[in-house]
Amino acid sequence: MQIYLPIAELPVNMFLIFGMGGAVGFLSGLFGVGGGFLLTPLLIFSGIPPAVAVASTTAQVVASSSSAALTYWRRRLIDTKLAAVLVVAGVIGSSIGVAIFSLLRRLGQLDLLIAVGYVTFLGFVGSLMLAESIRAMAHIRRGRPLPLRRPGRHNWVHGLPFKMRFRRSKLYVSVIPILGIGIGIGMLGALLGIGGGFILVPALIYLLRVPTSIVIGTSLIQMIGTMAVATILQSGTNHTVDGVLALILMVGGVIGAQFGARVGAQIRGEQLRALLGLLVLAVAIRFLVNLVLPPAEIFSLATLSGDAR
Amino acid sequence: MRRACRMPLAVPVLFIALALMASRAAAEDLIFTLSSDRIRITSDFRGVDLVAFGAIERDAETVSRGAGYDVVVVMRGPPETLVTRRKARFAGIWINRASRTFPNVPSFYLASASRPLADISTPAILKRYQIGPENLAFQALGGPDEDSAFRDGLIRLKADAGLFEVAESTVSFPGTSVFKANLSIPANVPVGDYVVTAYLFRDSAMLARQSLTIRVSKEGFERLTFDLAHRYGYLYGLLCVVLALFTGWLAGIIFRRD
Repeated sequence: MQIYLPIAELPVNMFLIFGMGGAVGFLSGLFGVGGGFLLTPLLIFSGIPPAVAVASTTAQVVASSSSAALTYWRRRLIDTKLAAVLVVAGVIGSSIGVAIFSLLRRLGQLDLLIAVGYVTFLGFVGSLMLAESIRAMAHIRRGRPLPLRRPGRHNWVHGLPFKMRFRRSKLYVSVIPILGIGIGIGMLGALLGIGGGFILVPALIYLLRVPTSIVIGTSLIQMIGTMAVATILQSGTNHTVDGVLALILMVGGVIGAQFGARVGAQIRGEQLRALLGLLVLAVAIRFLVNLVLPPAEIFSLATLSGDAR
Repeated sequence: MRRACRMPLAVPVLFIALALMASRAAAEDLIFTLSSDRIRITSDFRGVDLVAFGAIERDAETVSRGAGYDVVVVMRGPPETLVTRRKARFAGIWINRASRTFPNVPSFYLASASRPLADISTPAILKRYQIGPENLAFQALGGPDEDSAFRDGLIRLKADAGLFEVAESTVSFPGTSVFKANLSIPANVPVGDYVVTAYLFRDSAMLARQSLTIRVSKEGFERLTFDLAHRYGYLYGLLCVVLALFTGWLAGIIFRRD
């Protein structure tokens, strides 16, 4: 069934978009990530203008994150104070991100930034994930227990000034790395249409030593807050949020996520991480191929404000 | 007296001669109408087929020329300013480098013709009336470009998107002086006020033309959403967020497992 998207200004197959949302939702439930990093590229490669794809996925991430956050909220597995600091930083980051987004759109370099951003961040994170999970699998195969990281152990981050106490996480750390992480994730979210959970969760665990039990709930709150503000800013300045597209993706996404989570519960953690690493790398390679291979059409059209034509 | 009489006589003779010449030049006239004066884009919009019906009128003195007429119906969208960018290899990757800005490009151009344009008239006449995408008069900002690659690229991309098109053999003549043109409007048609012009040709000469306007607009929900997003972007964004939170919350309730 064809449906005309009011902001993207083109007709799409509703079931195709719904299917994409569902498939990405399934994977996001399976791996416990937001799925923005898969959804944005899928939309771009299926012909939705990159600017609309990024901004509409931003709204979709709010829906999928809030659905997941509800469970953690009921179980009180959220450090609200840490989440609040992260959201404030995330909002600053996404404001910077949206401003860069608008500027590059006018210069005709937004697509390049999105592609390069995906190649570098996903390539880096995917390689790290894959290497880490292969190491873990090798350890298990040899029958040796994994070297445990103790949450209490300190690193260089804990020597920084402006310390703040977070009771729920049993932490007393400097706000500098928290603000840094929040701003970074906020910028990435606005520029690339990703929630950033797959970067935020490891950063909170390894850099700040946030207990693993509350890290997911807390990072979900950060994503909701940051991506909600990013959605409003994208809509206000770039007018690129397609509500119809986002709604179809949301509904598909939240349904798919339920099934994904059920399957995910039956697969071992390190195997899941290896699969996720492969998936992340595959998306990065797909963008890299597009950048390196000579394009079939070297010309492109846009309006002065940067709308693709 | 005779001299005085001759002068007033010469003037009406001249007028009659001029009037005859003028009426000969406009011996054929063209009138047409469209099957709709408005194209409405709704959520199930998948393009539309518009029909232009018209008649070729001859005044009494003009002898019937039988067949041999050609009709071209041209639909032009509101003008827009476009930037054409050319990718080049830089540090191993392909990125947009040089660009040209073209003001006053028709956002949509469709020519429906009774025969191939080259058979209907001469290149000079087609260019004068901007019939055919390559005959459109738009030029790059800062004067015409010696390198026509950007203009050609723009026309090619527009054609690929189905927004610049020449549809040959889509004008038929059900009677000797009646014509019917089928205009197939694609789903990605830009909104705005369009001008539809019908041109009548015979033996390469343009005999008559007539223009009508038609509006392409979003309607109902599509219009509401588009206007809201562009006029009150922040409010629209906020509504999207509320919708997202509600969808997430609802899913969390429906699929609650604990």
